[in-house]
Amino acid sequence: CDNGFEELNINPDTSPIIVPSYMFSKAQYDALNNSCASTYEFAAGGSIQHFSTYKDVPGIGDKYFFSQGTYPYDFFNNAYPLSVNEVQTVINAVKNDPAQVNLYAIARIWRAYTFHRITDLYGDIPYSDAGQGYTSSKFTPKYDTQQSVYLDMLKELEQAATSLDATKSSYASADIVYGGDVTKWKKFAYSLMLRLSMRMTKVDAATAKTWAQKAIAGGIILDDKDLAKVQYIANGQDINKNPVSLALRGNNYAVADGNNNTEGGKFSNTFISFLKANKDPRLSSIAVVWVDKKQDTTATIQKGMQNGLLQKPADFITYSEPNINTVLKLDAPMVVISNAEMNFLMAEAIVRGWASGDAASYYQGGISASMRNMAIYGDAAAISTAKINAYLATHTFPASFDAQMEQIHSQMWVSLFPDEVEVYSNWRRTGYPKLTPVNITGNLTNGTIPRRLIYPIVEENLNGPNLKEAISRQGANTLTTRIWWDKN
Amino acid sequence: TELAELRLAHKSNITFNMLGTLPVSGIITSAKDGSPIIGASVFVKGNPKIGTSTDASGKFKLGIPDNITSITLVVSMVGYEPQTVVLSASQTTVSVTLKESVQNIQEVVVTALGVKKDKKALAYSVTEVSGSEFTQARETNLANALSGKIAGVNATSLATGAGGSSRVVIRGNGSLSGDNQPLYVINGMPIDNSTPGGSPTTGGSGHNVDRGDGIGGINPDDIESISVLKGGTAAALYGSRAANGVILITTKKGTVRKGIGVEYNATATIDDVVDFTDWQYMYGQGDGGVKPTSQAQAVSWGRRSWGAKMDGQPYIAFDGKEHPYSPQQNNIKNFYRTGSTLSNTISFSGGTEALNFRASVADINNKSVLPNSTFNRKVANLSINAKLSERISMEALAQYNLEKAHNRPSAGDAPGNPNWANYMIANTVDIRWMDPGYDATGREVQWNETPYASNSYFVVNKFRNDDTKNRFIGQFGLKYDILKNLFVKGNISRDFYSYDFTGIIPTGTVYTTNAAGEYQGIKSTVTENNSMLTVNYNTDLGPVHMNAMLGGNQRSFERSEIYTNGTQFIIPNFYSFTNLTTATTRPVTQRLATNSVFGSLDLDYKGVLFLNASARQDWFSTLGIKNNTILYPAVGTSFVLSQATEMPSFVNYAKLRASWAQVGGGVPDPYTLNQSYSMVTSSGQPLQQITMTNGEYLLNNPSLKPFTSTTWEAGLDTKLFNNRLGVDLTYYLRRTTNDIVKTAISGTSGYQNTYVNVGQVDNSGIELLLTGSLVKTKNFSWNTSFNLAYNKNRVVQLTEGVNTIQLATSVGSWAFVNTDAGRPYGIIKGYTMVTDSKGNIVYDTSTGYPVKGPIKEIGQGVAPLTTGFSNSFTYKNWNLDILLDGKFGNDVFSVMNVYATRFGLQQKTLAGRDNGLVLNGVTANGDSYTRTVPVSQLRLYYDNLKNYSDLFVYDGSFIKLRQIVLGYKIPAKYLGFAKIQSASISFVARNLFVLYKKTENFDPESSYTNSNAQGFEAFGLPRARSYGINLTVKF
Repeated sequence: CDNGFEELNINPDTSPIIVPSYMFSKAQYDALNNSCASTYEFAAGGSIQHFSTYKDVPGIGDKYFFSQGTYPYDFFNNAYPLSVNEVQTVINAVKNDPAQVNLYAIARIWRAYTFHRITDLYGDIPYSDAGQGYTSSKFTPKYDTQQSVYLDMLKELEQAATSLDATKSSYASADIVYGGDVTKWKKFAYSLMLRLSMRMTKVDAATAKTWAQKAIAGGIILDDKDLAKVQYIANGQDINKNPVSLALRGNNYAVADGNNNTEGGKFSNTFISFLKANKDPRLSSIAVVWVDKKQDTTATIQKGMQNGLLQKPADFITYSEPNINTVLKLDAPMVVISNAEMNFLMAEAIVRGWASGDAASYYQGGISASMRNMAIYGDAAAISTAKINAYLATHTFPASFDAQMEQIHSQMWVSLFPDEVEVYSNWRRTGYPKLTPVNITGNLTNGTIPRRLIYPIVEENLNGPNLKEAISRQGANTLTTRIWWDKN
Repeated sequence: TELAELRLAHKSNITFNMLGTLPVSGIITSAKDGSPIIGASVFVKGNPKIGTSTDASGKFKLGIPDNITSITLVVSMVGYEPQTVVLSASQTTVSVTLKESVQNIQEVVVTALGVKKDKKALAYSVTEVSGSEFTQARETNLANALSGKIAGVNATSLATGAGGSSRVVIRGNGSLSGDNQPLYVINGMPIDNSTPGGSPTTGGSGHNVDRGDGIGGINPDDIESISVLKGGTAAALYGSRAANGVILITTKKGTVRKGIGVEYNATATIDDVVDFTDWQYMYGQGDGGVKPTSQAQAVSWGRRSWGAKMDGQPYIAFDGKEHPYSPQQNNIKNFYRTGSTLSNTISFSGGTEALNFRASVADINNKSVLPNSTFNRKVANLSINAKLSERISMEALAQYNLEKAHNRPSAGDAPGNPNWANYMIANTVDIRWMDPGYDATGREVQWNETPYASNSYFVVNKFRNDDTKNRFIGQFGLKYDILKNLFVKGNISRDFYSYDFTGIIPTGTVYTTNAAGEYQGIKSTVTENNSMLTVNYNTDLGPVHMNAMLGGNQRSFERSEIYTNGTQFIIPNFYSFTNLTTATTRPVTQRLATNSVFGSLDLDYKGVLFLNASARQDWFSTLGIKNNTILYPAVGTSFVLSQATEMPSFVNYAKLRASWAQVGGGVPDPYTLNQSYSMVTSSGQPLQQITMTNGEYLLNNPSLKPFTSTTWEAGLDTKLFNNRLGVDLTYYLRRTTNDIVKTAISGTSGYQNTYVNVGQVDNSGIELLLTGSLVKTKNFSWNTSFNLAYNKNRVVQLTEGVNTIQLATSVGSWAFVNTDAGRPYGIIKGYTMVTDSKGNIVYDTSTGYPVKGPIKEIGQGVAPLTTGFSNSFTYKNWNLDILLDGKFGNDVFSVMNVYATRFGLQQKTLAGRDNGLVLNGVTANGDSYTRTVPVSQLRLYYDNLKNYSDLFVYDGSFIKLRQIVLGYKIPAKYLGFAKIQSASISFVARNLFVLYKKTENFDPESSYTNSNAQGFEAFGLPRARSYGINLTVKF
């Protein structure tokens, strides 16, 4: 009496077979396109004073408000069912096949990349149990300490980097970062390792040093040719477009007239003033003022809107916002890890005495790499060598440790734009540049810049005991609680 | 016996008119009012094959063979006492009057598989409601009209307007997450009750509309009667889907008569919105005690009533014009219009014993209270019954529906919701200043800071959604009498619809990407097929009458849908799928089947003791091949006490009944067993993802097994005091084990939902039906009926790895509808302020706000107690029916009141407006704490109250004056000129008054979805009072 039932219960529109490379491409896209308006612009970008808004709801980073919506939860909620589960599914599919060792290793590196973004924003997170719903029926994953997450990610990166084998097949074009290039992935793994180890300088300098030295010895991304970036397509499906451009242009900058910005967003006064004060040529690559419905990149008219406004200023239209023809082009490449960042971190490692070399030249290498790389946003953004040299001439590397740190990390604050999540992490670790918080009535942080995002309220309902344990360990689920590596 | 002959006569249905016969004719009238009795049966005693029935004027003709010498006629009619008339020799005309039967013992009801049974033989509770109860004060959705009529039936009409769906739950929610609604069956065969595109969701936006369900498409005028099978025993023969009870609909059939009978029914009603809001009108639009001084500020403060004391002086509003700073109290009435519904049904019936038919066409035209929203339904219904030969009979039904809806209202979150702004706009702003909602370029005019709170006029004037449903229901049955007491019957039925929805979020909508709009299309076809074959045998074994039945059923269901979605119209205002910047097409196919065999045995000992037993085995395609079958039995007995023993004289009738039944079921959705992978449309590399089911990441579970639902039931049915008082009392316990539950799980598992088998849910309760015939005189009568049902639900245990089952979340995750072990189904959970042991509020000294406690239960979403009370009076040709109904013991979390508090509309927000609000409490250390919130910060203080969900939970109990019908039967003497047999006219009114409620600013019945998410209110269409006229004419 159940003849043909098994066949009937197969969905004709889906495949029972996984193609790991197709799933891996999706995992790469999804790790990068996670809540690019709410987390990148409103939360992280506001907190580090790159962006500002006069409205309440998007004011999470701008004025430390959270009145309604899901903005502080978005990154967490989106990450697990998409990028985490996808990369985990790829790993499950390839891990036991020696012929697919490179697919396995690159997926492990990408998993570490995926998780470090989540833990840097939230602290303790489900890690070892995460994405195990189908394989092990784990419906209520426990929260791992950020320390253990970091140590495991470092171990994963090391193992994956050493297991890469140039003689075996790889993802080829399905890898949207490097086209499956095993040598470059090795550099990516060590670069991410360096990023993670430097993150631990405040909390555990000794471990940080050990891993930083391993990373540097392994070989990191220092040249333009190794830049880890994703190429996007302007015309086509949304998933193929630059997710930051898509999110910001679909939201704040949708009307493209400088006046009807959906969430009241502009560049922050802090950011634009810094660029102007330093006569930074990148200002004209990224910022515009709308004049007569046209974008004007003239440096002198650029100005940022102050953070913490509660009402639309009458001169709202005169403030700077991102250039939709350069950094917000729909096909603008997205930088995942840059040689600029690695040069700066090398400079820091040398300053700390953990590596040998000339810190000043790495510092200047970081600046010039960042400026050269503006060319990826098109000719309108490209910066001439003359301008780079002029800037370098006025930005020499200072002598004292504190001044050196301030210079390196203020430069990173500019150079890593628009990877606001990474800028936010780096700022929390180093405190540079020194930012003055706003203190608006009703803010949730007692007038301090947020130190993390908030676990989704739904976790309390669905994964209560584990969440409770994490909160009792880490501190209240608020914007002000500091995560493990962000020691006071 | 006479009764046996009666049965035979009904079965033969053959008229003899032979040569060599004596023609006898006559008229049969009612003893009560002398009106002709149509369709009464007349036959010769001892020779039931010689018989006929009366025509439309109560007349009959019979040819009696010459060989019969002494003629005794037996005349009978349901509802009257049978009479025998002895004709004198050569008498050829006769007139008989029949008395209405007082001893209404022979009460026949329709039970499972459409079998008519004597009510006293039933071991379970069945309630039957006649079709006429639904036609006079009609609701556009039939199921809504069940409200208050039947004990144990909880019918919830939704705030989604005409053409929307309904939610009916019988004896409580037995399943934790499955569809708790009953199976709808027409003439013994199931129909589809799905809602195309799914039910609206809490946080949904855009076209978050209720697209109507299957039962809504049944025309009340086509209904002869509705039986509600509440217990498992009654439902066992319908299989798994009957676990939640069955609503059996019997449609009207053709009648044997001379000529064609024509019946016309027309109803015209108007709907007036009811405004439940009671906002504060002392302080007007503004913030920090200040009114807006510029247009930009008025837009920023569009939904803030935190301004200065209203003074009537001019101020600048969001439209840039000056208006007096005065209260605007009629925004609800000013925005909505008077709605109307016009329905017309005409039916024709006629035929002979060999072939009879009934055909009807109906048209319902609704103009919603929401501007530019309309709904039209046309239904054509044809029913044919034929006696093809002495042994073969046939029945067939065909129904065709054409339903068109234009601009169904959406609910849930603010974007695209035309109801939202009407409630939330600042209290000195007239909603009409928004009209028409767009500027010269066609762009939506923003009235407030966020683009997500849509301009209501823009939504009603520019948003568009249109849908068309073509539905066909066909049924065909053949019955073959192999022997006098053995027959075989085959039925096939198909319920098929094709549905086409187009939703346009237009160019200029400010919340959409580049304000360039969005497109949503659904093309859906749904087919529900059933074929059934049964063999019936009955015989007498000494004093025991036995009836045995064996059968099999095949059910198949297929849904095939294509979703076409896209964003950003390239050419503005050109609304085609071809004109989109991004566009996706997504096919969805669902196929499932259930095969079953079943049997039943009924024993009847001298009409005193009855026993039924049945068993069914199902195989489900949606379960793994190892776990896909279940066998479930049922037994029941009933004992007619009043016939078995001597009872006190005031007891006319008493029956005891008891039954035990099981029903088993599979997963409602196919493809939930194994993980699969889908391709993602890409302009670059091919992309694959884990398959999403209905837009969610559903974790597949290959080890699911069938659930069972077991019902114990016992009852007493009596008629007392000369049948003046009827008492029907039932106790039941319904236990669901291994329930297949779809539950939200932590997204960190990689998935958002999964199906699991879960523990045990108990529903126990009592149902009481009291019927009274209080006054009964020649001209005046007063009948009353009172029903009461109490259902206690308890989730006994959940399963390992699942702490709680989350059924729904509100906007902002302010509250949840959950199911926790040890608690009733559907509790509302949320947050409260932390207090110390003395009840003082604990304040966080750094923020100055009360400390928010952990999540906890703050209410119960489902009403345990439901009741209905109806009174009908007749005086001569007048009749008056009044129906009250009520529900008690549930709570509603009001999303609207959260917003109203945040925006300063609620009366409670008046505290502190003049000199600031003084807060007193304690700190976390127990020290006393006091703080004055200055007027400038008052908004932020009240805004923060959203974190304490219990402040917005209201007792959802109510008593409503549901329905009044005042009717007048136009006496026949005034109608003769037009060959009209009868005509009646009635004044009808529905949802007139709320006599009792505890909710503030909203109607307690404000659910906006027929899903399991009961317990939330969120800006649905306002409730309306309906008044109208109904006219029924028979030719």
